[in-house]
Amino acid sequence: MSSYKIDIPPTALSTLKSRLENAVFPDELEDSGWAYGAPLADIKRLVARWRDGFDWRHEEQKLNAELPQFTRDIEVDGFGTLNIHYVHKKSERGLGIPLLFVHGWPGSFLESRKIVPLLTAGSGDARLPVFDVVALSLPGFGFSEGPKKTGFSFTQYAEVSHKLMLALGYTEYVTQGGDWGASITKEIARRYGGEHSKAWHINLILAGPPATQDPSSYTAIEKDGLARFQEYKRSGNGYYRIQATKPQTLGYSLADSPVGLLAWIYEKLVIWTDAYPWTDDEVLTWVSIYWFSRAGPAASLRIYYEVEHAGQEVGSTNFHIPTIPLGFSHFPKELGRIPKSWYHLVGNVVFEVEHDSGGHFAAHEKPELLVGDLQKMFGKSGPAFGVVLGRNGYDG
Amino acid sequence: MSNSFKIAVSSTALSALKSRIESATFPDELDDAGWAYGVPLADMKRLVARWRDGFDWRQEEQKLNNELPQFTRDIEVDGFGSLNVHYVYKKSDRGTGIPLLFVHGWPGSFLESRKIIPLLTKGSGDSQCPVFDVVAISLPGFGFSEAPKKKGFSLSQYVEVSHKLMIALGYTEYVTQGGDLGSRVTAGIARRYGGMHSKAWHTNVLFSMPPENDDPSSYTASEKEGLARWQEFQRSGSGYFQLHSTKPQTLGYSLADSPVGLLAWIYEKLVSWSDNYPWTDDEVLTWVSIYWFSRAGPAASIRFYYEVAHSGQALGTKSSPPTIPMGCSLFPKELIRIPKSWYPGVGDVVFEAEHDKGGHFAAHEQPELLVGDLRKMFGKGGPVYGVVTGRDGYN
Repeated sequence: MSSYKIDIPPTALSTLKSRLENAVFPDELEDSGWAYGAPLADIKRLVARWRDGFDWRHEEQKLNAELPQFTRDIEVDGFGTLNIHYVHKKSERGLGIPLLFVHGWPGSFLESRKIVPLLTAGSGDARLPVFDVVALSLPGFGFSEGPKKTGFSFTQYAEVSHKLMLALGYTEYVTQGGDWGASITKEIARRYGGEHSKAWHINLILAGPPATQDPSSYTAIEKDGLARFQEYKRSGNGYYRIQATKPQTLGYSLADSPVGLLAWIYEKLVIWTDAYPWTDDEVLTWVSIYWFSRAGPAASLRIYYEVEHAGQEVGSTNFHIPTIPLGFSHFPKELGRIPKSWYHLVGNVVFEVEHDSGGHFAAHEKPELLVGDLQKMFGKSGPAFGVVLGRNGYDG
Repeated sequence: MSNSFKIAVSSTALSALKSRIESATFPDELDDAGWAYGVPLADMKRLVARWRDGFDWRQEEQKLNNELPQFTRDIEVDGFGSLNVHYVYKKSDRGTGIPLLFVHGWPGSFLESRKIIPLLTKGSGDSQCPVFDVVAISLPGFGFSEAPKKKGFSLSQYVEVSHKLMIALGYTEYVTQGGDLGSRVTAGIARRYGGMHSKAWHTNVLFSMPPENDDPSSYTASEKEGLARWQEFQRSGSGYFQLHSTKPQTLGYSLADSPVGLLAWIYEKLVSWSDNYPWTDDEVLTWVSIYWFSRAGPAASIRFYYEVAHSGQALGTKSSPPTIPMGCSLFPKELIRIPKSWYPGVGDVVFEAEHDKGGHFAAHEQPELLVGDLRKMFGKGGPVYGVVTGRDGYN
């Protein structure tokens, strides 16, 4: 294990600046708004800021100051050793419940930034549990090494995540995940649930449909959730289809054009959130993680391909449903949701909260709400209180 | 009023491209990925190195200007104002050529007419062979044609501009040939202007919905295989289609800013859609350069998919087929092949030829075969001989 500080080499910074200085923009149809994709005015403004004004060193320093980071080698069956980057912050008091936070795409370890202080805080209400938080960069994302061979799918993402927790001394732990993190933590719950993973919490709940359905029994919210997912499949999953079939072809663009990468990610940051007031620097920090990532931006797309080709895509019927306690947090602008009658396809739901604001990037958009949910789920009188032996989030 | 046109990419554009390519950044690649994940890295590196040093655009440009007489003219499109349209126009070397409008698709261009034009306009030595006057348009947003500025420029508009071009050239009657999106455009021309103006149409891509009383058990082995290819295409080869149809602008930033990205995006289709066609690097680079140097930029061309998807004219929408005679040429590696029982949904098929080689870019891959089919279809003894009044392709 090594302590880690993000330290992008000056050559990388000047190369990026030079790229941005030579950026070539397409035109745009009149009055197209967001209908055809990210608007030209937004992208031009962001590129201008990225070129002059955005201070990566400053952002880097803030990240290093806020998030204690490390790297360690983890062996993955059939893939050799991968050097994994992760955030690890212990609770400021008591015995923190070990919580593994797993991001998705186009997310990163950065999504843990706002929830880490809330989860680990020593001050505040002593009735609330505290956590030891581990936020890994999935292989191929952030500052983790990417796999070199084909076939690195849910099994491997779950394995590396689980082994990281064990390596940190947490033989028992709980997990939180959204986007791919939801599926990966589901795989963790399936493979390691009971003995190691003791409970899991997700904010993206997609599965099914079950063999028999009764649409007339769906509530208005449930119908709306299904309709949102249908609309996503109709008009919002072009990125998914290309990433799941030709990630390398797309990868040439994303590796060569920071403008292209910015547009590709920014579009999701806006349309998947609930009117979240992104600042330009916030967006640029997020996208810079991808541009400066250890494996390069093309590597992160491959998870879609691998999952698709392992027959594990979102919505596919899963054979073995995890039995450990499961918690849901519903945010209204998530990409979709399933009816209660389908929950048995996901897991053993013991905790569920409905929110009236927030979208796909819950930990970033609504950190207090998400953390509040975790505190309720795992706190005294919560349905998953004390699941981790000897580390219940309180003092002894 | 037409203006003679010669492709003359500016030297600033050439040096900007060279400079961009010199600073190209490549992704890595998984071991043994082959073509499964998309274009292999080795292919890309080799093509980019050639594009940077060795590929001579000026020479390719000159060849094109020598081979293909080109023009531009303003065409008015209802609701969109005047668009300056680029086209190739070559009259037959002898006799009265049958006026033929050739319509390309994506990622094609007017360039796809390059090999068939000499064959169509000269004829063979055989005086039994008809000759054609060929018009190969650059669709608005492609090649050296202006692009529309407003939303909603869909099939109807592509149809209108193509038809008006033929009328402007003095061809009140004409025939068409089209593949890829060009097949949809020429089908639209046949529907709207068929009978009075478009007299017959030929395509190398057939698509329609199954008829009401469809009986899958009656399909031949070829037909089953063709449908299976279509399903596989939809499963694993249509990501670009989904993206173009929903977020063309988002993708457009990449294609406009990265020649490497644009090269990969197009090259993948050139290889995976053709039938072992022996692309030379310079051939690929000329093809992709047309997109890089296009008047409207590479992001404009992909809007075609979005507009069609949002205009109620998406593939699979029911519409009545054109009634004028049609011909089709079937090439084995085309992306889709429908059973014969579905033909009535496409049109009135009076000519059909099946080949044992060739893919999606038929005019480029198998020009002799395609032209051979057109000669048979339109020549003396053919099913639509003499369909254009006074211009039967002979003396």
